[in-house]
Amino acid sequence: MDKREARSFLSVHRPSEDPVDARIAEAKKQATADPELAQWWTEEQELDRAIGAKLAAVPVPSNLRARLTSRPIPLPVAQRSWRRAALAAAAAVVVALAVLFGSWRGPFKPAASLADYRDEMVSFISLKPTLGLETSDLTRINDFLAKSGAPSQLELPPPLRRLEPVGCRTLRFRGQDVALVCFRRESGKTAHLFVVNRAALRGLRAKPQFAVQGEWTTATWIKGDHVYLLTVQGDQSTTEKYISDT
Amino acid sequence: MAEVDFDQLVDEFYMSLYRFALSLSRKETDAGDLVQQTFYAWASKGHQLRDASKVKTWLFTTLYREFLAKRRYDERFVAVDDDSKFEEPAHVSPSAVDALDAVTVQDALLRLEDRYRGPVTLFYMQQHSYREIAEILAIPIGTVMSRISRGKAELRKALQDPFEHNARKIVQMEGEQAHG
Repeated sequence: MDKREARSFLSVHRPSEDPVDARIAEAKKQATADPELAQWWTEEQELDRAIGAKLAAVPVPSNLRARLTSRPIPLPVAQRSWRRAALAAAAAVVVALAVLFGSWRGPFKPAASLADYRDEMVSFISLKPTLGLETSDLTRINDFLAKSGAPSQLELPPPLRRLEPVGCRTLRFRGQDVALVCFRRESGKTAHLFVVNRAALRGLRAKPQFAVQGEWTTATWIKGDHVYLLTVQGDQSTTEKYISDT
Repeated sequence: MAEVDFDQLVDEFYMSLYRFALSLSRKETDAGDLVQQTFYAWASKGHQLRDASKVKTWLFTTLYREFLAKRRYDERFVAVDDDSKFEEPAHVSPSAVDALDAVTVQDALLRLEDRYRGPVTLFYMQQHSYREIAEILAIPIGTVMSRISRGKAELRKALQDPFEHNARKIVQMEGEQAHG
């Protein structure tokens, strides 16, 4: 092994670990007999430490920790073992009854409740998330969403179509892709429209559902295969006017 | 497995998970989402992990899988790795790196090809053994080593750009003083 080869193998070896390759072991042995190579390897480790220290100093968003600990994340199941046991027993009874009465149609598809979805989406916009695409062009928004694998080909109520789009982004909710499209309202405030596939949620009703969460009023409705959730700062009547058919 | 305090887990790992996510996604918003999704997965499924010593690897593996799932619609870079190929990295002085700010070094890292960024980031974090890196990225250990080798060589080249840029500025300033 020449020195150049030895340097290439030593450059990936950490002294704290056993060599994972026979060639690295050989290069290490060579370094013990060659002071120049040993010196090169020492400098190489210093450089790695310097680069590692710089990368460890890359700033982390100041609100990230709060976002992780304040979002409605479920408690780890280990902390509610009695509930898990009760739920497991109840689930076993349901499956047994389903099989017994011939209504079993394969494994359950887990779906979140509308309330959970609504809570998470409202808390998401409370953090003032940035957009993946800023544009007032709905066609570009649609292309972006389609390319991201999020719901696209959105069917918007006429009043929303009349608002100026600001942009969009995608996010994930319990393993599902969600599209977020923002519109500038007449007041200058933002209307946030979340769209997720219908199969992702349970507890849906045919009629639009309204809910108030702090300063936000939400409206949820179903159109085609999608569930639309609009969040607006204001009361129900303010929100209603954006989802009317005219 | 002994109960793990959620907030403590966040405190211990969220920064390194964020930096790993940023190196993969190159976007701060996506990196934050990936970390959030990872802790969500922990809250939902972490209890299934039987070995407490594997929590760190579990979190990094989960984040990497979330990243792969998220970009499943993107065009994927397909390349055949030659596991035996190692490269000698170009020489850069540690003091020259000390003179750079963290964002400049991060920018150089983000310029690496996709397949090198994950292994190189985990290598520099110094928190994972090579076997753990192989487990997180689901690639053979030989591939981990060769990707780290070639990724480090690419990173050095990228880091040399700012040095050359600064050197040119110094020469230019000296020239200006001579005329002054």
